[in-house]
Amino acid sequence: MNQHYYDYVVNKKAHRALRHDYVDNGELASAYAANSVVDADRVADRFKKMLRDEVPTILDGQKIVFMRTVKKQPKIYTDEEWADIGRKHKLHELGFVSNLTPIYAKTIALGLDEVKKTATEQQKIEIEAILDLVDRYVDEAKRLGRDDVVDVLSVVPRKGATTLREAMQFFRILHYSLWLEGTYHNTVGRFDLMMNPYYEADVAAGRLDKDTALDLVEDFFLSFNLDNDLYPGVQQGDDGQSLVLGGKTLDGGDAFSDFSRICLIASRNLKVIDPKINVRVNKDTPIEIYELCTELTEAGLGFPQYSNDDIALPALLELGYDYEDAVNYGMAACWEFIVPGVSHDIVNMDSLNFSKVVNSAIIAKLGRVETFEELMDYVREVIRFDANRLVEHCYAARWFVPSPMMDMLSEKIKYNNYGIHGTAIASGTDQLAAVKQYVFDEKTVTPERLLHALGTNFNDDPELLHLLRVEAPKMGNDIDWVDAIATELLDTFSDALKGRKNVYGGIYRAGTGSAMNYLLQAGETGATADGRLTGEPFGTNFSCNLFSKIKGPVSVIRSFTKQHFNKTINGGPLTLEFSQQAFRDEDSKKKVAELVRYFIQRGGHQLQLNAVNIETMKDAQIHPENHEHLVVRIWGWSAYFVELDRGYQDHVIARQEYDV
Amino acid sequence: MTKGIIFDIKEFSLNDGEGIRTTVFFKGCPLRCIWCHNPEGLSPGRELFVTKNGCSECGLCKKPCDHEDCRGLGRCIHICPKGLVKAAGREVDAAELAAEIKRGEDLFLSTGGGVTLSGGEVLMQPDFALELTEALKPLNILIETCGHAKREDFIRVVEKVDTVYFDVKLADREAHKKYTGVYNDLILENLEWLKKSGKKFKIRTPLIPGITDTEENLSAIAKIADGAPVELLPYNKLAGAKYEGVGKKFTDAIKSDTSRIKSTDGLPENFKLK
Repeated sequence: MNQHYYDYVVNKKAHRALRHDYVDNGELASAYAANSVVDADRVADRFKKMLRDEVPTILDGQKIVFMRTVKKQPKIYTDEEWADIGRKHKLHELGFVSNLTPIYAKTIALGLDEVKKTATEQQKIEIEAILDLVDRYVDEAKRLGRDDVVDVLSVVPRKGATTLREAMQFFRILHYSLWLEGTYHNTVGRFDLMMNPYYEADVAAGRLDKDTALDLVEDFFLSFNLDNDLYPGVQQGDDGQSLVLGGKTLDGGDAFSDFSRICLIASRNLKVIDPKINVRVNKDTPIEIYELCTELTEAGLGFPQYSNDDIALPALLELGYDYEDAVNYGMAACWEFIVPGVSHDIVNMDSLNFSKVVNSAIIAKLGRVETFEELMDYVREVIRFDANRLVEHCYAARWFVPSPMMDMLSEKIKYNNYGIHGTAIASGTDQLAAVKQYVFDEKTVTPERLLHALGTNFNDDPELLHLLRVEAPKMGNDIDWVDAIATELLDTFSDALKGRKNVYGGIYRAGTGSAMNYLLQAGETGATADGRLTGEPFGTNFSCNLFSKIKGPVSVIRSFTKQHFNKTINGGPLTLEFSQQAFRDEDSKKKVAELVRYFIQRGGHQLQLNAVNIETMKDAQIHPENHEHLVVRIWGWSAYFVELDRGYQDHVIARQEYDV
Repeated sequence: MTKGIIFDIKEFSLNDGEGIRTTVFFKGCPLRCIWCHNPEGLSPGRELFVTKNGCSECGLCKKPCDHEDCRGLGRCIHICPKGLVKAAGREVDAAELAAEIKRGEDLFLSTGGGVTLSGGEVLMQPDFALELTEALKPLNILIETCGHAKREDFIRVVEKVDTVYFDVKLADREAHKKYTGVYNDLILENLEWLKKSGKKFKIRTPLIPGITDTEENLSAIAKIADGAPVELLPYNKLAGAKYEGVGKKFTDAIKSDTSRIKSTDGLPENFKLK
């Protein structure tokens, strides 16, 4: 890509200075309220007004254009109206449509002129607004003598794309429009599958070669970073721009192509937090692809995240997704498996806190049960009880601000399923393992002693704290009977959700992810029998306890590939943090690639592999100004370290790191 | 059934041979190289090992206790909430250890990896090394040795393993004595046998600034190697990090953090830099 453009956007962030505020002090919402304007009309009208306020801006050296110059959307509801909506309806997160994968390809192939013919009134308004802005971009391109931009915008988005550049420009316009409309966590979906036909046509026609294509893809990838500081999220970087490469295709082939390779290389070259790269693999994926992916891992962005077609695809079918939908699965904002275009699944409805349910069972029953099995029976009962509570809590319909643009990029919605995370599986497992070993099998710790310690945060029993924390058996050390407890907990959770239906008739999907609950729910969980102190964070997603003494990555992979992932396919990856030393030469990188393949071949469902340097992170806490570009992976997304709150920074530093 | 004493097992060790490997560190070494970065591997007995980093000086470990396995260590190893106070060295049974390591056997076999026996010095426990090697079959076994062992022990172990990484630290007899505590006669004799044995091997030389990385020493080692592969190991400036943990002091004779050797330019062709 153009180095000047890269510096301008990534290093200087100078493009942010070109933005202005949309001048509104609530007048827009008040006017809508006064005239009782219906929801979809408000969305479309605001969209039109914002686009009109946009200033066409083409940066020096930039190829894929369209950049936000208007900072924040004005509100479309008055505070009273919004409060009223909140009283009448259940909202999900911000109340806007989020975390879905649109079908871009069809619109990109057809062109907006064609799409407009069957569009709703609101969609027509939005299309008109887009075309108006496109025309003003063309004027700006002419003024700057940018004939290349003029050429592209004279085809797309009015007509269908005929080249890779046109297709990516079209994508950019649609993606930009979704965000501007208020829709958020807009994921990308199967990008190589979408773009490869254009790439191949360009190559066949001699318009493009691998180098020029790489240049173009890099430019396109940068476009995901033009506005991402304006996107809503728990933390900066939590913006859901997940992109999927590879994986089985409907005709039985594999989507991984030369174009996929170009995408991996582009991401590695750019070293920016978006788009977030996911690769779909299976047991037959050649080692060469893992090696290429490892080159990207080395860049330290926490990309790619791997998901296993051998597990995910049958599991999605088992959940009731049709084959033609399941085969196109991709990642929601983090790692939740979603299908594009036909689903309005809400994958992050709530979270079952394994650490807390196990803790409550231990407190309720220890000393009152004779055997470990009796305790386990009660644990299962508590999980079922809690799962039921979550099901009932989530059951109701969720109200969303309409998204005409998302509707335009979707087909008839077939799935309205709800996902429930499963947080802190290792903490739940380790508590039970310790209780089994010390209280029931060896009888070296009395129930009274343990209960007293849990009630007093181990204040007067450091020896027990040491035993449970340091010496007790831990998930992650490939101990079959310990790992089997995790299987048991997850199965019980999944089975408890089985057959339950939400208000739409959709199902509930159990997962192994934690999202931000490794901090949030940890804060609500007292001292636990795994030697974890009150409030102490859990491991992220499907990972070991932070303080567990772990033998190494091979044992961890073995421990975390034994469970029945067909039952927990809401998603949530095992996360492994490697010291940057693990990537120092070709031989070492090859070994890392082999390790990833081992995970997949053993039937793991998802894996996130991070190259970290703890010393760098510690230094970045003291001297943030020296580490502006340091990227770390959080729970399903990557972010600039210095932009994170301290709690998230500390957690990354505290994770298990494998030096080699 | 032979018992051995080890001080660490490291999974996925990238520096210790081909493919994905686990390295077992034998405890006890006949040498006292001043630059040794594993001071807890020197003594053949179990000993106290305290990690200072993270210690809040709560003093819990200093209180008397009645644990049998704390006896003689001077501290209680069953109380530190952070696990910083422990014993270096655990007695293991060869068959049990092999079974533990072999859990990852499929991965080792499919990547051409296996198990590396390192130390300390493997050949200080030849019977244990042999029994472990036998029990680990069919995995590829590599030993890392300083070469200072009785000829018969050296031969009977080397004959059973697949690969040998053989350290030649200093060519000069007196310098060897000065910096490692022993003369290199036995080492060089064993190396001569190894060179003729047909066994797959590699000579390894740690690049200790001003001590082993001198032109004189490296050219002498080139002569000794006589065309055999020599791998130069960069000096780790954190080498002294663990000394405080075993109550020892790291040498102040190493005057620089890095070796002058940054590439193999000007060195014989059989020299590689790790």
